Amino acid sequence: MEDNILKNLDSYLTFELGGEIFAVNVANVLQILELPNITKVPKAPEYMKGVVNLYGSVLPVVDTRIKFGLPETEYTANTCIIVLSIEIDGTQVNIGAIVDLVLQVLEVKEADIKPPPGIGEKYKSEFIQGMIKVNEEFIMLLDVAKVFSSDDLVYIKDSVNETNN
Amino acid sequence: MESLQKKFIIEANEFVNNLEDSLLSLEKNPDDKNKIQEIFRIMHSLKGSGAMFGFDDISEFTHNLENIYDLIRNEKMVVTKELLNVTLASVDHLRNLLNQKSNEEVKNEHQRLTNIINDIINNKNKEEKKDIEIASPIKQVSILRQDIKNQDLKTYFIFFEPNENIFSNGTNPLYLLDELNSMGTCKVFSRLNKIPSIENINVEKCYTYWDVILATSQGINAISDVFIFVEDDCNLEILEIAAYNLFENKFFIEEIENKKFLKENISIDELQKFISTLSNIEVEPEKIDIPEKEVISESIEDVVDEVKPKPKPKEIVTHQIKEKAISTIRVSSEKLDQLMNLVSELVTTQARLLLFAEESKDNELIAIAENVQKLSRQLRENAFDMCLIPIQTLLTRFKRLMRDLSNELNKDVEFITEGAETELDKTIIENIADPVMHILRNSIDHGIESEETRVRLGKPKQGKILLKAFYSGTNVHIMIKDDGVGIDTEKIKEKALKMGIINFETSYSKKELLNLILISGFSTSKNVTDVSGRGVGMDVVKRNIEEIRGEVEIDSVVNEGTTITIKLPLTLSIIDGLLVKINNTCFIIPLSAVDRIYEADRSVLENSFNNIIVFESKQIPFLYLRHEFDITDNCPSKQNLVVVNYEDKQIGLAVDTVVGEYQAVLKPLGKYLNKNEIFSGASILGDGTVALVMDTNKVINKFTN
Repeated sequence: MEDNILKNLDSYLTFELGGEIFAVNVANVLQILELPNITKVPKAPEYMKGVVNLYGSVLPVVDTRIKFGLPETEYTANTCIIVLSIEIDGTQVNIGAIVDLVLQVLEVKEADIKPPPGIGEKYKSEFIQGMIKVNEEFIMLLDVAKVFSSDDLVYIKDSVNETNN
Repeated sequence: MESLQKKFIIEANEFVNNLEDSLLSLEKNPDDKNKIQEIFRIMHSLKGSGAMFGFDDISEFTHNLENIYDLIRNEKMVVTKELLNVTLASVDHLRNLLNQKSNEEVKNEHQRLTNIINDIINNKNKEEKKDIEIASPIKQVSILRQDIKNQDLKTYFIFFEPNENIFSNGTNPLYLLDELNSMGTCKVFSRLNKIPSIENINVEKCYTYWDVILATSQGINAISDVFIFVEDDCNLEILEIAAYNLFENKFFIEEIENKKFLKENISIDELQKFISTLSNIEVEPEKIDIPEKEVISESIEDVVDEVKPKPKPKEIVTHQIKEKAISTIRVSSEKLDQLMNLVSELVTTQARLLLFAEESKDNELIAIAENVQKLSRQLRENAFDMCLIPIQTLLTRFKRLMRDLSNELNKDVEFITEGAETELDKTIIENIADPVMHILRNSIDHGIESEETRVRLGKPKQGKILLKAFYSGTNVHIMIKDDGVGIDTEKIKEKALKMGIINFETSYSKKELLNLILISGFSTSKNVTDVSGRGVGMDVVKRNIEEIRGEVEIDSVVNEGTTITIKLPLTLSIIDGLLVKINNTCFIIPLSAVDRIYEADRSVLENSFNNIIVFESKQIPFLYLRHEFDITDNCPSKQNLVVVNYEDKQIGLAVDTVVGEYQAVLKPLGKYLNKNEIFSGASILGDGTVALVMDTNKVINKFTN
């Protein structure tokens, strides 16, 4: 069963962040961690929460809320880390992403993924791989490699202005 | 067989490297007999083992080369630059052959070099024939005395006693004697007195030994080469007993034909005495040549001296070789990597054990845990030590590069190396070869001026490039210094302004301007040559060095030269650290940087307006890390000041508490956090939390500027 999921790239892990639902391809997901003790790294960008010990190696952890320009909240029992494996400049890098709540794994056929929304949408389309429609609700499929390999930009175009106002 | 072949390739590669090294030093010092000898031996071994493992092309190829060096060894030929060029090209070719490359190019090269080598040998043979023609009795006087000595026959006494078990190696001593016989006039006396009575004979053992008198034009080296494969399995003694052909002496022949030599066990002393009486009588007719007589008596004295000490010189040499073979073993570098990984895991686990033991308050457990700590530290130091390689291992490559480039660019450059024994972690060594080669290439191409320019500037004709390695605190520095044109900072400024890298308003220090050449795409050289100057390079050097946590520094004076210093950490894996805490975050300061620790009141540290504190009547500037790291919670009233060495100054780092010493296994922070400038890595503590390892130099740099 597990093997099946790993091989099957039509599976997507969904999670909640600031009330919205996002999805990542399971091919990028190594595991899900409960929130451990995070060692803060001084002078790192604000969204860099710090580093944690992942089976003897050091895993940098990003607070996805800050990265996405959402207001920071207290961590709850539901808060957890999705360990992602992404490719940056040709090398495989592991990154932990803190999210509000992990939901489920969806199986979606490629044909059911709609192209990313055009200009005027809330999120920068270059970071959205596509939209998955489930029960009349849209789930945004993230291009994690792009999201986490770009440095310290905030990825929500419009809400930056909203929060500023 | 295949694994044996692999082993041969590894070994042969080493031979080839040694060969290259020896050739380069021979070039510097063409009269160095030891080097010639060494070169010959390496070739001989290559040829022998090549044939043994079925690398016929290598064996054949080396055979021809070996012949040349045999001539040189026997002073029948001199070392020339052309010859060295050919030999070095052959070394390259041998490398290709070893890597079993077999494309057209290699084949052509093989043919080309074989032809050249054959030509050299053939020319030599022709010359020799000429020499011999000239050397007819009438003209003898006109030939240089040295030549006479070399061409002339000398007589040797060879004592050869094989070990009893020599047959078990498949050696037939008679073949060796045959070989001796083929070298010149030879008289062999078999000594049979050690053969036991028939009932005690073991047919698989060798009981016979031999005394041989040989008159040959080939030197003592050639004779000992006959025994090269059995020298460990026999008692061998080779002595020059006369500097002429004793067999031409009728009296001598008479003597050896009759009783004297039929006697078993003639002592060498007796032989010497006998010969000296002979020479008194017989050299008479040749008296004209007085120096030669001197040579004779001298050589006899030598021989007598040599006979006296019981352990024969020959044996001492083999002993040394044996000891060497036992004291080192070859281990693949993967195994060492594995060992280092295991040690790292062990150190981490040991930290957990110690923490657990301390919490349990069980004294016995604590004692055990502390013991484990001690052992793992020793093991770590040992394993670490194994991974250290001297910079020497890179030098041959550099020397070769310098030699080839100075020929190619027609610049006479002396390449000096110092501190070759300085050791570095093998991973670092692997990673500095290319950057250093690049810097050297730059130095010779752009740094050193052409000969005319140098003379015009009043500099010595020969350029000079110095590569010096030395320890400096926790670092190893590699300095590359040339006495060439230097770098004109004005030119850099001009170019940087044009490129828009710097602006007019700001004033830049010399160091800042020099550092600009480390930026990608920046080259002040006007002409692009084959060797360098394309503007790629120095930025790659910088990046490569930074990848192994090193730094590059440039200093230059126009017309005096450029110095580029690479600063490298001693190790990349485990360091001794001082574990400190600020709030609840753990940090590790490399112990090697720490000078001393003081206690200080929070109020004093926090409210100091110039960040200077006085201890033991010394003023110590300090950094209040809580401020610098933006940590504000839970500030204790008593804090600690860790004083670290920074360049030649001492600077305090104020932390909350000092926990203690800690062996830190360095883990990379990963690509994602690479841009941080103050931490060189992280380490996982016994309780599983992560501590950040500070790079004190960079911390101080960042917060003082």
